[in-house]
Amino acid sequence: MAQAHGPADAATSISLPTATGSRPKPARATPHGLGTSLPPAEAQSKARGTFPYTADLWAEGLLWAAVLRSPHPHARIRSIDTTDAAAMPGVRAVVTHEDLEGDGLLGRRVADRPAFASDVVRYHGEPLAAVAADHPETARLAAAAIAVEYEPLDAVTNPQRAFEAEPLHPDGNVVRHIPLRHGDPHATGEVVVEGFYRIGRQDSAPIGAESGLAVPRPDGGVEVYVAATDPHTDRDRLAGCLGLTAEQVKLYVTGVPGSLGDREDQSFQLPLALLAIRTGCPVKLAATREESFLGHAHRHPTLLRYWHHADREGRLVKVEAQLVLDAGAYADDSAEALAAAVSFAAGPYVVPNAVVDGWAVRTNNPPAGFLRGEGAMQVCAAHEGQMDRLAAQLGMDPAELRARNVLATGDSLPTGQAVTCPAPVAELLAAVREAPLPSLPKDGPIEDWLLPGGPDGAGDPAAVRRGVGYALGMVHMLGAEGTDEVSTATVRVENSTATVLCAAVETGQGFATLARQVVQEVLGIDDVVVAPVDTDQPPAGPGGRGRHTWVSAGAVERAARMVRTQLLQPLAANFGMSAELLNIEDGRITSYDGVLSTPVVEALEGKELWATAQCRPHPTEPLDAAGQGDAFVGLAFAAVRAVVDVDVELGSVRVVEMAVAQDVGRVLNPRQLRTRIEAGVTQGIGAALTEHLRVVRGEVRHADLTGYQLATALDAPEVKVVALVEERDVVAPFGAKAAGAPPLVVSPAAVAAAVRAATGQPVNRLPIKPQFAVGVTE
Amino acid sequence: MSTHAPGAQLVALPATLDEAVAALADNPAAVPVAGGTDLMAGVNAGMLRPAALVGLGRLAELRGWAYQDGHALLGACLTHARMSRPDFSALIPALATAARAAGPPQVRNAGTLGGNIISAAPSGDTLPVLAALEATLLVAAPDGEGRQIPVSHLLAGRDRLNPGELLAHVRVPLLHAPQTFLKATARTGPSRALASVAVVLDPLRREVRCAVGAVAPMPLRPLDAERWVASLVDWDGQRGLAPEALAAFGDYVGMACIPDPRPAGDGGEPAQLAPAVLHLRRTVAALARRGLGRALR
Repeated sequence: MAQAHGPADAATSISLPTATGSRPKPARATPHGLGTSLPPAEAQSKARGTFPYTADLWAEGLLWAAVLRSPHPHARIRSIDTTDAAAMPGVRAVVTHEDLEGDGLLGRRVADRPAFASDVVRYHGEPLAAVAADHPETARLAAAAIAVEYEPLDAVTNPQRAFEAEPLHPDGNVVRHIPLRHGDPHATGEVVVEGFYRIGRQDSAPIGAESGLAVPRPDGGVEVYVAATDPHTDRDRLAGCLGLTAEQVKLYVTGVPGSLGDREDQSFQLPLALLAIRTGCPVKLAATREESFLGHAHRHPTLLRYWHHADREGRLVKVEAQLVLDAGAYADDSAEALAAAVSFAAGPYVVPNAVVDGWAVRTNNPPAGFLRGEGAMQVCAAHEGQMDRLAAQLGMDPAELRARNVLATGDSLPTGQAVTCPAPVAELLAAVREAPLPSLPKDGPIEDWLLPGGPDGAGDPAAVRRGVGYALGMVHMLGAEGTDEVSTATVRVENSTATVLCAAVETGQGFATLARQVVQEVLGIDDVVVAPVDTDQPPAGPGGRGRHTWVSAGAVERAARMVRTQLLQPLAANFGMSAELLNIEDGRITSYDGVLSTPVVEALEGKELWATAQCRPHPTEPLDAAGQGDAFVGLAFAAVRAVVDVDVELGSVRVVEMAVAQDVGRVLNPRQLRTRIEAGVTQGIGAALTEHLRVVRGEVRHADLTGYQLATALDAPEVKVVALVEERDVVAPFGAKAAGAPPLVVSPAAVAAAVRAATGQPVNRLPIKPQFAVGVTE
Repeated sequence: MSTHAPGAQLVALPATLDEAVAALADNPAAVPVAGGTDLMAGVNAGMLRPAALVGLGRLAELRGWAYQDGHALLGACLTHARMSRPDFSALIPALATAARAAGPPQVRNAGTLGGNIISAAPSGDTLPVLAALEATLLVAAPDGEGRQIPVSHLLAGRDRLNPGELLAHVRVPLLHAPQTFLKATARTGPSRALASVAVVLDPLRREVRCAVGAVAPMPLRPLDAERWVASLVDWDGQRGLAPEALAAFGDYVGMACIPDPRPAGDGGEPAQLAPAVLHLRRTVAALARRGLGRALR
């Protein structure tokens, strides 16, 4: 993809991405260390199809698992009869809630969800039982043969009804309410705009559906091979659910086939582990796409009502908002998603007064959970819609209105937290405003036109309008509100190879590559291997929100520095110099004056050097009763300018170009960073235009990739990275910020703004179905 | 669990049409499979369990086409990819356009014309074109007594294939006149049609034929609109129509395919169409207007 460069006279803090990265390194045959585009170690095997994913695993004599899921969104269970299923030839075990010897509960953040429903089912797809059989088809048929007598109950599917509805769960229907009050709640502006926004149910739709293999252990425990992104939390919960000790459950993390949220849902892991223990045989499960859609959590569908108050010059006076997040039947990460939504409800703008009420409520809709950009993405679409409305009301240029209100370091969030990290929002906005616009199709040959609707589509040049829209947004980094964000890593050096042991899971986000770069940088050793992850290693916590770049790569760096000291100290002592005067490169240790030059292998003298270190950022605090508190470790910002073509009769939209300016802190791997930005933009376009899991009265419809439309290569626009602002966050180990979530959070808002500009319609729903683009609101 | 007769072949791979028909006669429960893009997806999803399969992949004679009395005799195993190519496009332009629009390359390489007809999905892209062309299906049967079925009869369920019968060819007229196929989708990449419209001109019979796909279980023919607009066309001169006439045709087609609800019998307020349905009607109208406009240009 061609890469346009921004204006040459941009602010000095803005570095223009180049092919070799923004921090030029001395010429070297292979990329090495931080700031270079070191390719992922598994790139070749993934491209060639030899990379082992979980679905490829095999064990002698394995059985196949199938899970029985509820066809009802809400029903009382009168009885479960497994007799027929258990009697089928080839069936080895049928398990239900009665077979669980622990607390029988699942849930990564809040264990509030039965592993197998016993008295009531609360969503379409909730597991009731599982079967192990000698063939996957037998297992599925047996699961279907389990006789369940249901008494269907009224399904609460409108989140606004959840407040008055009978409690769907012993913990009540309101998972969390945050009433944020900041400044003077009674302040009013000369101009007020009101808007109502609805955000759909995006799914992570990973390229590889869920799968796993569980192997029983002689001690009564179980080993689970699964693409888990937070293996220790899963291990502890499985053990608690099964009534085992944590030592009796071990997770091996296998190749992760795409992860934009949490993997694998515990409702896939638990039946495997239980069936392996029960049968004494290895048990494998490979979910169909439909089970995948039914079995894992989605983005929180959200209703948002906003009132923006401003003065005549367009300066924000107050933001009032009411947010309702549909959590589904179980809490999962809804409390955290709500905290992000409420805290960022006004966006990256200076807002002196704010009254924001946010609720996460239980419904009988499919479960919602962590998807990157949680909470922030939904409010971004709304606050940017409000900024466009306000600009229209004031007769101002939407970008100019934003420029008058941007947040900067030293300003306060509506939560009262002072922004201490770099917040170059003004520079980001300026960069996307200044970037040249793409040419109109009429300037090129007609056969090069790619109209909305695609090649050979129905697009008509006479009905196509072009729109340009701007959006700004923000995300927080790491866990918020007092979460203990810690990671542990070990670095081992033997001969001239370094090995990193860290339970941070490589999900495609690039952690393993970054870990290798960090060790290369610190130890000067090129040959770095990242060991596979299992739960015998110390925990590194979940991924997402730039967490592993911060805490896990930070721990790797500390461990590597400790190894470096162990390696250099004896040598330096011999020469009577400080270890800081020694350098390691290309497998040799050299002194600053060139007197000493020893191969690392020789210096090691056959020893192995090990060091283990932890990284833990400064603590945060929970939001208080008025939604105030220093809840976030760090923030990352992005500005996106979307250019779209809309067929104003059919309502079809094609995104022509997305110009992205991003606050990245520091570029650690230019190529990987670009990939993350392109992926985030593309996922954002999916959320903006097509991605929504359809649910009718609580029942999931079209749970397949034909009905659930992801962006294809033809839908992905040209992604122009116009600026990567490198202002290091001094408290982060490398000064780097989260890279994948900001473009995802901001892109849907930018697309909506551009469609608004092209059509003059309000465009207050995501995804923007064709009828919404032409003004139909239902 | 299998229901096949003992000794019968589970998968037959005939090399000729006669062999294929014979294989179906041997085991009438067997299901013919060509590209498998619909059937095998159903099998893989556990929705279908054919007792036996007759694979049509080796039937070279059904993968091409022949000419017969001003018609093309299209083999049922003609793939969408083959129909997309320029030589085919010169013969039956709308069918070529529909084939190009019918999904991603992997599906077009495998999926066949016959499969599209037999699957009869409401969103099947070739179906409105075949309906507008008034194509005839040539069905082979074991006794050598083949028969012909108008495509619309099969799609409307007025006629169906009997056990042992196999769709062999599709006869379409060669009209030597512009044809269009337009499809509205929700994304730029390959996608099912929200609505599609095929327009073909038949200058010899002085007819405009139009069919609308994806808005009903089968393609719809707005016959009154066709006749009305054909009467406006100057078939011997410049065929173009005024924008107002094109727009009126579009509205006519939209109204015919997505009519207003009948007024309530008790004299109460007539039911209103949902806004999304009204948008669908406008979409059909725009496609018909554009399709006819491009055909007459």
